[in-house]
Amino acid sequence: MWLKFSVIVLGMWAIGAAAWGIVPWFEIQRWAVGEQRTFQNVMASALRSIQAGNSQAAWTLCSATAAYGFFHALGPGHGKVLIGGASLASGATLIRLSTITFLSSLAQAATAIILVGGFYFILQIGSADLTDLTETWLAPASYLTIAAIGAVLIFRGARSWHQMSQVKQATHGCCGHAHGPSVNDVATLTSTRDAVALIASIAVRPCTGALFVLVISARFDAFAVGCLAVVTMGLGTAFFNQMVATSGVAARWLIGLGARNHKGMQAISATLHLTVGFMIIALSVGMLLP
Amino acid sequence: MMLSAVCLGGVTKAHPHVFVDARTGFVFGSDRQLEAIKISWLYDEFTTLVLFETLELDLDQDGQLNDSDRIKILEGETNWPQDYKGDIYLEVLGQDYPLGRPKTAAVKLDANQIEVTFDLPLSKPTEVDSSPILLRLYDPFFYFAYTIVSVEASPDLPEDCEAQIVHFDPTAAESVLQDKLAALGREDRPEIENVGRLFSDEVQLTCG
Repeated sequence: MWLKFSVIVLGMWAIGAAAWGIVPWFEIQRWAVGEQRTFQNVMASALRSIQAGNSQAAWTLCSATAAYGFFHALGPGHGKVLIGGASLASGATLIRLSTITFLSSLAQAATAIILVGGFYFILQIGSADLTDLTETWLAPASYLTIAAIGAVLIFRGARSWHQMSQVKQATHGCCGHAHGPSVNDVATLTSTRDAVALIASIAVRPCTGALFVLVISARFDAFAVGCLAVVTMGLGTAFFNQMVATSGVAARWLIGLGARNHKGMQAISATLHLTVGFMIIALSVGMLLP
Repeated sequence: MMLSAVCLGGVTKAHPHVFVDARTGFVFGSDRQLEAIKISWLYDEFTTLVLFETLELDLDQDGQLNDSDRIKILEGETNWPQDYKGDIYLEVLGQDYPLGRPKTAAVKLDANQIEVTFDLPLSKPTEVDSSPILLRLYDPFFYFAYTIVSVEASPDLPEDCEAQIVHFDPTAAESVLQDKLAALGREDRPEIENVGRLFSDEVQLTCG
């Protein structure tokens, strides 16, 4: 049992390390940061244009925020970690994962709109306090929820391993007609409850860029345009996370090729749960640290 | 796991929102000692709008900064909290060299970008010789992304002194980082140096 576990884990690390070595991460990061800077400036001039009464600039703003959302997502962020991990470990279909990805980005945009709409307009709280609130409370809340999801994955993976070993002992002692737990026992994200938890953990923390677009547009008396721009920003982010989810599902499929039977598949799924769970916790704890 | 959390955390926090084009310069005394650093921060257009919003600048909406706007900006930009060093790091003989607080600060708005300039005195003037003094600008959390765009040739720079920009080299930074992470695995207690400095441009100042 432990041998099998170690083989699967080692295999996954080898694939991961190879991917890490081949892809020029630093170059990609630098390129993404450069693009983000470009689109951030386009956003600024579009906002100034809107203030000057040029309503066409709303389209420029929305395209720029969409591109910003995409390139900003290329940087490290909490949504990706979770979406990538979930698509690797879960039993959800690609269509289901895509829906969850889009919903989580839209929900994140909605959080920004509600925050600015509520706090800025009704309670008259300034944007500096608003970003403080986001960084001091919402960001840690989001990481804690994400870490909790990691813990759930670990728990499910461990439970599955435990059940498998028990079934093995049972079949030894008896006449061999004991049924192993079905793959569904460890398949995560196939329930609505799982999906909602995942979306909420991402959505609780809005992007600072989105908050700024909203407060600036509010100051320029164009809050509605700002809301639209933040939604397109969310779509840009979703588009990138969609690529992450697709790669995750593809990687899961590749790993699954190694399984010879139903039981092998279950062992792999359980191991993926454990590995991904630990990765998610490690990353979110890393983000929480000062 | 905590170890990987610390390592990954340091690297993965990279997520800039504010872009700063920085100009630097060196101020020498009559005795050829380095006395202060000249700094200029040119903020990107979006951050400029954010500053206008957060500090409630330009209330008369004429698109210009007036005196009260300038006071508000300089208060935030140069009246640093005790634990903030302005993201400015001077390295002399391999050691972090203590710096003072901003002096003779000024701010202007040029082509929709706010620019803040000031002098940062060294805690104590120092000799400069052939071993380079390094000036780096970086935010350890990479919320601010600094690019050093120029070194101003100050009139009092001694003739035999030279200041040049060495831009951040991703390949070199990556290999240094990997060496560091590899070294971490062998030691019991991880001591992570600031990862941010690996990703920063630097100015090298040498004399003689």
